[in-house]
Amino acid sequence: MTKIEKIIEDAGAFDCVECGKCTSLCPVAKINPNFAPRLIVVKAQAGMESEVKADKDIWSCVTCEICNDMCPYEVDFSGFIQRMRGEAVDMGNSPVCSEAGAVHTMQRLTGKGQKQNRLLWLTDDLKVKDNGDVFFFTGCAYQLGVLFKDKAEELKRVPASVVKILNAAGIEPVVSNNEVCCGHDLIWSGNEAVFEELMRKNVETIKATGAKTVVFSCAEGYRTFSIDYQDFLGDLDFEVKHISEYLLDLIKEGKLEFKDSNAKVTYHDSCRLGRHMGVYEQPREILKAMKVELVEMPSIKDKAICCGVNAFASCSEVSRKMQLDRLLEAKGTGTSAMLTFCPKCLIHYNCLLTMEKKPLELDKVEINVRDFSNFIAENLKGGK
Amino acid sequence: MEKTESSVLVIGGGVAGIQASLDLADKGVIVHLVEKTPSIGGRMAQLDKTFPTNDCSICILAPKMADCFGHPNINVWTMSEVVGLEGSRGNFKAKVLKKARYVDENKCTGCGECLEKCPTKELPNTWEQKLTTRRAIYMQFMQAVPRVAVIDPENCRFLLEGKCGVCKKVCKREAIDYEQKDVEMEFNVAAVVVATGFDVWDPTPSTEYGYGKYPNVFTAMEYERIINAAGPTHGHIQRRSDGNEPATMAYIQCVGSRNLKTGHPYCCSVCCMHSTKESMLAREHIEGIKSTIFYKDMRACSKGFNEYVERNKRDYGVEYINSDATVQGQKENGNPIVSFDIAGKSQQREFDMVVLATTLVPAKGNVELAKTLGIELDEFQFFKALDHTLEPISSSRPGVYLAGYCAGPMDIPESVAMGSAAAAKAMEALVQRKVFA
Repeated sequence: MTKIEKIIEDAGAFDCVECGKCTSLCPVAKINPNFAPRLIVVKAQAGMESEVKADKDIWSCVTCEICNDMCPYEVDFSGFIQRMRGEAVDMGNSPVCSEAGAVHTMQRLTGKGQKQNRLLWLTDDLKVKDNGDVFFFTGCAYQLGVLFKDKAEELKRVPASVVKILNAAGIEPVVSNNEVCCGHDLIWSGNEAVFEELMRKNVETIKATGAKTVVFSCAEGYRTFSIDYQDFLGDLDFEVKHISEYLLDLIKEGKLEFKDSNAKVTYHDSCRLGRHMGVYEQPREILKAMKVELVEMPSIKDKAICCGVNAFASCSEVSRKMQLDRLLEAKGTGTSAMLTFCPKCLIHYNCLLTMEKKPLELDKVEINVRDFSNFIAENLKGGK
Repeated sequence: MEKTESSVLVIGGGVAGIQASLDLADKGVIVHLVEKTPSIGGRMAQLDKTFPTNDCSICILAPKMADCFGHPNINVWTMSEVVGLEGSRGNFKAKVLKKARYVDENKCTGCGECLEKCPTKELPNTWEQKLTTRRAIYMQFMQAVPRVAVIDPENCRFLLEGKCGVCKKVCKREAIDYEQKDVEMEFNVAAVVVATGFDVWDPTPSTEYGYGKYPNVFTAMEYERIINAAGPTHGHIQRRSDGNEPATMAYIQCVGSRNLKTGHPYCCSVCCMHSTKESMLAREHIEGIKSTIFYKDMRACSKGFNEYVERNKRDYGVEYINSDATVQGQKENGNPIVSFDIAGKSQQREFDMVVLATTLVPAKGNVELAKTLGIELDEFQFFKALDHTLEPISSSRPGVYLAGYCAGPMDIPESVAMGSAAAAKAMEALVQRKVFA
């Protein structure tokens, strides 16, 4: 079996009956008339893999997984795209990365053992440990907050917020300066080799602390550990949990209390947390427990509109249209904030909102795209 | 040798069960036909026309229903369910629970007086797919056999609170009997024919089709009732949102079937044909209506089926598009927006009305019934044949035979054929003593 055949088989693409449901649902196909998931699978099945690899459209897919989620034959389209991108890069079909590839460079460097100071956000009032049961994987929120300070500076506060929340519940999490990029953007942009290096480093770091549970605020990191790491390594020695699941348990145990709030928000299901991982209810239940009014947008849960960019590798007019559609839905809720757990969603939506020549429809739209963990921390009882 | 019983139990009064009963009864066998609902007729009685001949479904079925009910050798037990089966081939003892109808079947003439006077109105008429309402005393449908009213105990004021009694007052035949109780019966039978049919799948959980969200998205079974002259709109095709007649219609195939996610990976085997039929009929109801059928694969394999599809394209101008489709929104005028793929180009088109060819699924009661009868289910929860290829009629228990959709996807002629085949198999159980004695 050739490598391509293996990719097709692993994705279950041989089961495709070419029904076209994927294209009918694909948000990219609706805007970009040259893109159709069905056509890509049909070509691959027919042995036209070199055409698939050479096609720029391999980078048009936003990997939102609406097709995976709805495919009657359970074809793993995004898995197919992820691995075909590796093949595409090998033959010189590389993505056009946002910010001139700065993010990818930063991520690659962490894999090369570049000295880092990852815990700059750690202030004296936050209680953390070097060894223990609960490891908080901070991810790159802080770094992204620095890099995108013009549109997403609040990301700098995310790690501190999470520690603050955990502390409030009486938990001192482990954080580590040896943590490196989870590799999400690298594996989704065809760089499997560096991804693997990062993965092994992270698993080693976590194991060394003796942690039994690893908690994530970032939707991408959570997906990468839960799916991609386990694809390579099998079962991990520790449990992987999203902060929304973890906190909900603590709330139920009565360990967290919130300020009286009259806030009205809407919630954006990021692709990674929602369709990729199936976490839909926990964030909503947390809002309920916080007595925050949630006004839902028309497209939610498995039908949520994607932010239009993945791995900083597919920003285009299509992305901007998708972002616009989502922000208009958010505007329609009449709330002041759209919360999300994904730092990338936050950056991409704010990118459109802060654009100099932003679409006319967004004039006078006063909606903040906010990080969910920050929002929780701000509303803790006794907090600021 | 042990004495062999000379009667047969048939479970399910749809077309397969009716056929099996008639075949047996015509050969002099006593048949106990057990039907769960208040009338025999089954699914075929709900359909408007049959493919590929466009015969009126109830018109060709009703004579069979009447023959069956009036046959001297057939005992029709409506509102009844089998609750136990002991013994073995040739000598079964079947327990049947007949639920109270609260109307005396021997006295009621079906005049309908009570149906007009009952004060408890606006209850959903499930037989009409909830497109219309019924009262607490009702007739299952116009051509019901037996033509006897039935009281819904969950909503009848007299049965719930001891007040009212209007139906009893107006009934000139004194047929209303609030004291009626469930009765358990026992029959000695030589063989059992299981012909319990299917359920229609509810597409609400598959939100990509917008059923329940967009009012002008219908299921095929709803549409069958809508185009039926005896149905809730007297055969006028009307939109749910505004009652207007549609000028364009979309039919989406394989809704819920050929889908691992819904748990129904099989082909329902009828939706290519019934959507073809339904679009053809739409054109007969509304001059100039433009219909589009969205399909995964066109499965028109039986005799005359492909010709039927070709005729629909040629003579009725129905467009067939080889793409699955989804409904992802609606216009302000209530038109659902259908999204699909033509040659790798995503398309969005609005239609006045969308009909979902919802799949047919194993009946919910199958698991329980299989336990009661001691027979096996297949991986889809249809009843399992002893051998898929060479013993398709026999269940896993000797003397229990299968007919119709409860054994797997099939159309009406196949169900009828299987009904006859099961009758022939049941005959074997009856005559074995005579042959081998």
